Amino acid sequence: MNNTAIYGVFESEETLLSAIRSIREKDIKITDVVTPYPVEEVFEALNLKTRIPALAFMYGLFGLLATFGFLYWTSVVNYPLVFGGKPQNTLSFVIVIFVMVINITIASTVVTFFITEKKGPGAVPKYEYDGMSDDKYFIIIEKDEQLDTESVNALLKAGGAIEITEK
Amino acid sequence: MTNMEKKFEFTPRLRYFTYALMLIGIIAIVVGFTTDPERGWANLLLNNFYFLSLAIGASFFLALQYITQSGWSSAFKRIPESMSAYIPIAAIIMVILIFGMNSLYSWINPEAHAFDEHEVHLIHHKSPYLNVPFFIVRLVLYFAVWIFMTQMLRKFSLKEDMEGGLVYFEKSEFYSKVYIFTLALTFSLASFDWLMTLEPTWYSTIYSLKNFVAAFYHGSAIIVLIVLIMHTYGYFQFINDAHWQDFSKYVFILSIIWAYFWFSQYLLIWYANIPEETTYYVRRLQGPWAVNFYLNLGLNWIVPFIVLLPNYFARKKFILAIVIVALIIGQYTDLFEQIMPGTVGEFKIGFTEIGTFVGFAGLFVYMFMRTLSRAALIPEKHPLLEESLHHSGH
Repeated sequence: MNNTAIYGVFESEETLLSAIRSIREKDIKITDVVTPYPVEEVFEALNLKTRIPALAFMYGLFGLLATFGFLYWTSVVNYPLVFGGKPQNTLSFVIVIFVMVINITIASTVVTFFITEKKGPGAVPKYEYDGMSDDKYFIIIEKDEQLDTESVNALLKAGGAIEITEK
Repeated sequence: MTNMEKKFEFTPRLRYFTYALMLIGIIAIVVGFTTDPERGWANLLLNNFYFLSLAIGASFFLALQYITQSGWSSAFKRIPESMSAYIPIAAIIMVILIFGMNSLYSWINPEAHAFDEHEVHLIHHKSPYLNVPFFIVRLVLYFAVWIFMTQMLRKFSLKEDMEGGLVYFEKSEFYSKVYIFTLALTFSLASFDWLMTLEPTWYSTIYSLKNFVAAFYHGSAIIVLIVLIMHTYGYFQFINDAHWQDFSKYVFILSIIWAYFWFSQYLLIWYANIPEETTYYVRRLQGPWAVNFYLNLGLNWIVPFIVLLPNYFARKKFILAIVIVALIIGQYTDLFEQIMPGTVGEFKIGFTEIGTFVGFAGLFVYMFMRTLSRAALIPEKHPLLEESLHHSGH
């Protein structure tokens, strides 16, 4: 890798969040944040925007139409099934549609997420560090010419980082 | 904290307002009983069960918060506590309703009603459970359990305010655990006893679950509405976006659970297609009842589900308030659908119905405000209070 990055390691959610806020105040771009579990405040502190929920809704809609279309074609058009004297095109579809909508939405959303984030099976992690994806919290700042390394280190230190490394 | 945040004051203005509502109710009940006693009794049962279900739902909400040791809700736990103050009133009205049993419940004297021979036989077969003395014994038992448990939770909560410490929190947690088990049994049987036996030849096992969920759903929605109204009048100023988001989530998820149980009952009856079960829905899908049937589904599920789905709407107080108003009407249509076809028989909605509802609402609000004003609004010694005051996200 031609770019090196600064890794700030934190031991708790609170110190991580205060550090993120103080770094953001100085208009320094944070490349990535790694936490052991989802922390809602990180999204707010980083002011992240995501279109995944809207996309998930579209997948759900697609799943609804696709499943209904499939059921309609198989059991009404192509091979009409009559069971119990029920009308063909009605409530018996609902449970299958309900389950398939959940299934299609979740599977497509996960795949989309892997593609957009370049993650998933076989992906090479861009940032690696001891304890990452373990119990520690990380702020990663990628270095470029304009970045004032000294002040970043000072901010991380002041924010309560237990380790600051460049690599 | 300012004085306003510490205590809710039941001002004379509010008091007279609730008296006015109750007066309308009394007039409506008198008019109802003089014109058509059966309609009067049915309305009394409907409205009493309506507000009882809100109180039960709120007390269940409170018990759940103790069991899960939830922090986010601790600052406004006085609201569900005060809502359950309606339960003793509901007990009194249920006792009055015993005098109207003959006109409400056709299983008391099936020969006098339009049942065929087989149906009369079925009703007689049910008589070891379905007889008047046992009905009254059960009624007393249900209310004894509910009143005792909610009063104990209230007592511990008030003692905690005086003494602090973890003792009363732990006691409340234990009582809550006992409460939800007893409540599940008693409220299920109560909904069987009071509502399902209005049509004694029809039965559905999931009926009680549906009513239990409806009570929890609408009780929680009313808690949210009360917090919302009090917030606009200057109480609970610590409430932030995360609280509104959680309130919306609560209403949203309960709308799905409600629809799940509604549909479970409907689908099974539709699938099995047994005449003695389908008559219930056939009757409710004809004439003006059909309007009520679809209104029920629309207000209780489609409106909250679609409106609260986008995150943007979920944090808007105004939108949340509109959804809850829809739910208030929704619970009424739900009970209307369950009670009216089996008692009044014809689709009648007029001054009796609306006036009685207004009166009961006044009574409920009166009991709520009276209880709320008697203790500090924010339980200052609750062990999880800080978490509620600075609630965020997760």
